[in-house]
Amino acid sequence: MASTFLRTLEITVISGEDLRNDRRPIKKNAFAVVRTDSYNSRRTDMDTDGGSYPKWNQKLVVDMSMHAQFITLEVQCKTSLGDKTVGTARIPVSDFVGGYVPESYLHFLSYRLRDHKGERNGIVNISVRVKVPEYASCSRTELGIPLGMGVALGQRNFGGGIVTGVPVLCNYPGKY
Amino acid sequence: MGNCFSDVEGGKQAVGGTQQRPNSIAASNNNNGGHNDAVEFFFRSRGIQPLFTQIELSLSASNLLDRDITSKSDPMAVVYAKKRDGKLEELGRTEVVLNSLNPAWIEKVTVAFQFEIVQPLVFHVYDVDSKYHNVPVKMLKLNDQEFLGEATCVLSEIVTKQTRSLTLNLNNKNGHTSLRNLGTLTIHAEETVSSRICVEMVVHCSHLDNKDLFSKSDPFLRISRIVESGGSVPICKTEVVKDNLNPIWKPLCLSIQQFGSKDNPLIIECFDFNSSGNHVLIGKLQKSVADLEKLHIERSGANLTFPSPHHGHVKILKGQLFVDQFCEKQQYSFLDYISSGFELNFMVAIDFTASNGNPRNPDSLHYIDPFGQLNSYQRAIMEVGEVIQFYDSDRRFPAWGFGGRTIDGTTSHCFNLNGSTGAFEVEGVEGIMAAYARALHNVALAGPTLFGPVINRAAQIAGQSISYNRTKYFVLLIITDGVITDLQETKDALVRASDLPLSILIVGVGGADFREMEVLDADNGRRLESSTGRVATRDIVQFVPMRELHSGQISVVQALLEELPGQFLTYMRSRDIKPGPLHAASTSA
Repeated sequence: MASTFLRTLEITVISGEDLRNDRRPIKKNAFAVVRTDSYNSRRTDMDTDGGSYPKWNQKLVVDMSMHAQFITLEVQCKTSLGDKTVGTARIPVSDFVGGYVPESYLHFLSYRLRDHKGERNGIVNISVRVKVPEYASCSRTELGIPLGMGVALGQRNFGGGIVTGVPVLCNYPGKY
Repeated sequence: MGNCFSDVEGGKQAVGGTQQRPNSIAASNNNNGGHNDAVEFFFRSRGIQPLFTQIELSLSASNLLDRDITSKSDPMAVVYAKKRDGKLEELGRTEVVLNSLNPAWIEKVTVAFQFEIVQPLVFHVYDVDSKYHNVPVKMLKLNDQEFLGEATCVLSEIVTKQTRSLTLNLNNKNGHTSLRNLGTLTIHAEETVSSRICVEMVVHCSHLDNKDLFSKSDPFLRISRIVESGGSVPICKTEVVKDNLNPIWKPLCLSIQQFGSKDNPLIIECFDFNSSGNHVLIGKLQKSVADLEKLHIERSGANLTFPSPHHGHVKILKGQLFVDQFCEKQQYSFLDYISSGFELNFMVAIDFTASNGNPRNPDSLHYIDPFGQLNSYQRAIMEVGEVIQFYDSDRRFPAWGFGGRTIDGTTSHCFNLNGSTGAFEVEGVEGIMAAYARALHNVALAGPTLFGPVINRAAQIAGQSISYNRTKYFVLLIITDGVITDLQETKDALVRASDLPLSILIVGVGGADFREMEVLDADNGRRLESSTGRVATRDIVQFVPMRELHSGQISVVQALLEELPGQFLTYMRSRDIKPGPLHAASTSA
């Protein structure tokens, strides 16, 4: 059962551009770490030959608290001395939550990465989609019942059991 | 607007080809759906027409006048394009159908569809006298034939219809309605079917020669098509890979309009990039698309060659080209989307700052000439509105002013042009012109020049429309006489709007120095950055300063419009939004 206090994000880390280590373009083994808070982080695989323009195209599914204001994305590079952070981007949640578009909109976003000195160090390209819980994403006409009522739905299987009437934030289009 | 590659970063960008998804596997900021300034300029300067969509017109008619005494008319149709000066240029003719007042001609007439201009077409139907029935249709003198009727329309009227067919009443020449019923003419438009094929490939080279002194070569590829005259015309170039003799380039996507056919020979040249512009040829090879497909299947490499000083000989190099991925796909074209119900929604915002000058003064940019000559604002509205109106099903256009002091005394940076507080739309291009003229009486010019509020409003409309349907794409035209004072806020608004189905055209009128504005139009490859660290997803802005119109030339405003189908396609393709089935149900005709 999905908790009310978490959102699930599908973040596809697509690629990075012009990543440098001490001004020199990195040669390989870059990977990205998405962190929503100290407990929730996911990382991509390393791009073993991508150099300073790595391509990951990897989807990460990560939970985020409803109250979170930022998520961080770090691009790191595996070197002989360990994992070095190449650059970090702080992504405001308001960039993909709220606003005028529907909640399940697939956002293509890009961010400037900054290194530990605060200097610019490349760009990271991602796409983000907020995963809307199943029972909230069906249109009213499909379900035939108003939302927010704790009623078991015969045909649909939500992992067993009756949905207890927990209010869920969901976005409906203005007109049907 | 024209990419001269005098700036090194811009020069290293990939050029030409066809745009796939931005920020994903094939990402390049300068590819524009097949339309690219540098390549187009190259074509035009050599007198070769750039490649655009070819449309085939099929004609049929009904209830034609019966001119013959003993039998029915033998009709033939002729299609003309009406030029700016009113002259008619023949595009083609059908065959002669014998003895029919309801002919369905088989012979099609091809016309090139150009999104950015209004293309008026004129159709004449003739009854061909029997003594000419053995003469080839091309050689028939039209003055000797019996004229049966004329019809006119605009090409975009036909292609934007769901059925891609238009039925018109035939009239006398020069549009005078006849007293007699002359019948009707039906025109059906089809894109040539093969125009949807495109090929996506990933290529790499190995063992390239080193042409740089202190480091390795910085190779890039240029692919050209061989033309009949023997020369070659470039169709695309890859990005530059620095310091690498075994480079892998980002995926290339070539459309069939660019390479002609899979068997057409293409010249692939590999150059070493030099910031001076003197790129050094490393090697080249000649392969058709079919050859490249073979290289992919066989997983073999093809050797590059270098022209040898000995006449007629080539030196075979160690360097080889490999095709790692090769994929033929169907790309939906702009017209596929349009005829399945997708729309371009036009919005306009007009500068009411004081720098325009008092509208009562003939020197003012806002002066409305009583004899009808259009001022710069009116010209920009007409040129863009006239083209886009066909793509907007309800012809209701949001129209705003900015920088003016409205009746209630406050300066607003986004007020409704029609003067109402709630309704922000006007009807038709005429509605925009009328609201503009009225607003000049009711609004006092003030300032400063801020774009942020108008862009945010347009982004709001575009964002909200996504909840209702995914088939609308918005085009905001901002006409301004001055340099903006809120550059960072404007950049922030543009970055926020860059992931929405929205394109922004900015036209600068008057004599101000607009160089600062050109930074908004990221043609040099530098993506806009907001104050929060977000980078624009795609380049949605085109900026151009308006110049005096010279007769016969394409206006710069219309050159702006050329980019729109590409921007529209980029957005749709990046989200895998496909055109609906043909004749999909739509509430608006």
